[in-house]
Amino acid sequence: MDGSSGRREPASGREADQAWRSFAYLLSGPLLYGGGGLLLDRWLGTSFLLPVGIVGGMALSIYLIWFRYGSR
Amino acid sequence: MSIVALATEGSGYTSPGVADFWQPLVGNGAFAITRASVAILVSVAVLSWLLLAGTKRMAVVPSKRQFATESTYGLVRNGLGRDIIGSHDFLKFVPLLFTMFVLILLNNLFSIIPVVQFPTMSRVAFPTALALVVFVVYHVVGFRKHGLVGYFKSIIPAGLSVGLMIPIFLLELITDLFTRPVTLALRLFGNMFAGHLLLVLFIGGGEYLLLHGAGAFKLAGVGALGMGFVMTVFEILVQVLQAYIFTLLAALYIAGAVANDH
Repeated sequence: MDGSSGRREPASGREADQAWRSFAYLLSGPLLYGGGGLLLDRWLGTSFLLPVGIVGGMALSIYLIWFRYGSR
Repeated sequence: MSIVALATEGSGYTSPGVADFWQPLVGNGAFAITRASVAILVSVAVLSWLLLAGTKRMAVVPSKRQFATESTYGLVRNGLGRDIIGSHDFLKFVPLLFTMFVLILLNNLFSIIPVVQFPTMSRVAFPTALALVVFVVYHVVGFRKHGLVGYFKSIIPAGLSVGLMIPIFLLELITDLFTRPVTLALRLFGNMFAGHLLLVLFIGGGEYLLLHGAGAFKLAGVGALGMGFVMTVFEILVQVLQAYIFTLLAALYIAGAVANDH
């Protein structure tokens, strides 16, 4: 059992890592760029940069997930 | 009777809330010894005893206790350590992973063990401390493996167009430095907090309905207590699962730092 399951290890680990990492990206994107938008909104006195940041951040996250795990 | 009338009349029952989780036993304020602090100390004592007793008289044909200890260790060593970090350098992380798994598992189970009946991890400081340990470990491992500059370079995927490098780099940085450790801590905290709240609501509320309610409310109390039992069983599943997931993610983070390409 030791020998056979040893060969499988990179694949199973990588798949789990991809799933959890994608989840973290989807949180980070809107958080980072939405947060940046909020700060810019405060600074410039506007109100459209927060939603733009959230949507843009989400788009960037999805692009990154596709780029990392979907495109090759 | 309208619901509003019931709500104003029945002031004897206070619904469970955040206050139920702040239980100082000695002193008060930031340095109070709380029920959770006692619980985690008890857990360390119990675990030390269980593991020492389980490995005391090792035999080829194991006793029940040795078997239980060995299969738990085997689960973490092989299922989490070797399969995820990889057979090359998983061994030095197994003590950390195993300690985390059994510590979290027992502290989660404390939620339903009579007398203790308090999940330590429902106080956010405890999962935060554990997540901080994981955070420091996987970054230090990454720095050692790639060097300081190489580590930060390694987080950008190869072949990315130049224009996207900075926004993606920031995204990766926030993911590694903030999102992953924070979600690691909050996932465990949230599950234990919500689960315990649910149990307190069903069992405490059921008891109140049964003892203080009239007529049909007594029946509802029986239903609530029954639901409390169902949720207790369900909570066991959640408690084991969360201990496993925390350890799994710790192993994944370490694996990511150890891996050649990020």
